[in-house]
Amino acid sequence: MSPCRSITDHDYATVGLRAAAQLATVSALSNTTEPAMRKRNPAPHETDLVERLKAGDELALEAIFHLYSKRLYSVAHRILGTVADSEEVIQDVFWTAFRKAKSFQGNAQLSTWLYRLTVNAALGKLRRSKKDKEVDYEEYLPKFQEDGHHLVRPVVDWSDTLDEKYATREVQQLLAEALNQLKPVDKSIVVLSDLEGMSDKEIAVTLGLTVSAVKTRLHRARLFLRGKLAAQLGYSAT
Amino acid sequence: MAARRRTQLLTNKTCKQMTDLVLDYLNDKLAPTTKRDFQRHLRICPDCVNFLNTYKKTVAVTGSVAIDEIPQTVRNNILTFLRKRIHRLGTYPLIVITHFISPSGILDTFLTRCIDFIHPHV
Repeated sequence: MSPCRSITDHDYATVGLRAAAQLATVSALSNTTEPAMRKRNPAPHETDLVERLKAGDELALEAIFHLYSKRLYSVAHRILGTVADSEEVIQDVFWTAFRKAKSFQGNAQLSTWLYRLTVNAALGKLRRSKKDKEVDYEEYLPKFQEDGHHLVRPVVDWSDTLDEKYATREVQQLLAEALNQLKPVDKSIVVLSDLEGMSDKEIAVTLGLTVSAVKTRLHRARLFLRGKLAAQLGYSAT
Repeated sequence: MAARRRTQLLTNKTCKQMTDLVLDYLNDKLAPTTKRDFQRHLRICPDCVNFLNTYKKTVAVTGSVAIDEIPQTVRNNILTFLRKRIHRLGTYPLIVITHFISPSGILDTFLTRCIDFIHPHV
């Protein structure tokens, strides 16, 4: 049995769990370069897995775990920032998926449902833990004169300076701190959009927001992050 | 001042309007006429060019944040947790009942913790 081919339902039914899990891991790893949720139609074996999950099949849950745990953990960890919290969220997500499998609608994608469970669980945890850590965006957003021109001129292009002044790790540290100051929903949107590569529409479905709301929040969050980076470099955030 | 007047004459978009359009411009979602106005403004407004470059840089830097790999211990912990709970669904009929009557899962979580306390190794 070649580990390179895709995993079928038959594999899970006929081979030992460990071997099937290894195959699923190889398959999941081979897909990690693809942006999240790019497949428009669920793979045939995924439909079978959902049906088996609805029937309470433990092996189906484990197969789904091996397919999605990596990506879902990445989202949870980026939103929450700690291994312990992310572990708790992913644990709850898969347990909920097992318990509530019957409520899963076949017309939705399994990945969308799992992402929604993950982001909602992470948001709930984040909201409980960071009530007073948020920063007012206004200070870091661009400001304009009455006639619509930039208030502070000239606007400096610091895009190259950032790389010259800071090592990649330092820039990522700066950004991580700024991300932690975003409102929980905005942080989730930035993670799903700019880190996971989801479209505005996919994010809207995942978070239960309108596309317009996603775009507005994403834009303001990016402007805030831009302002924070500019301020760090000693330039006007506006 | 003269340069600013010239800018106003050559473009029907202000810098503020440009900022509001950046997201759709980068996603190539602007209507053709709006996109043309946007690009016309960029040709004569270095401030907006610089703003656009720094906005793009911010998005690029955000996207380059390293992927957080799931540690093997975390993966194993979660699988152990799931197997244990599923096993209990079959072993303790009361959990099965609460599993169906408690939509939020609070009851079966409570019962599971009680069983954990009584039989920590099951």
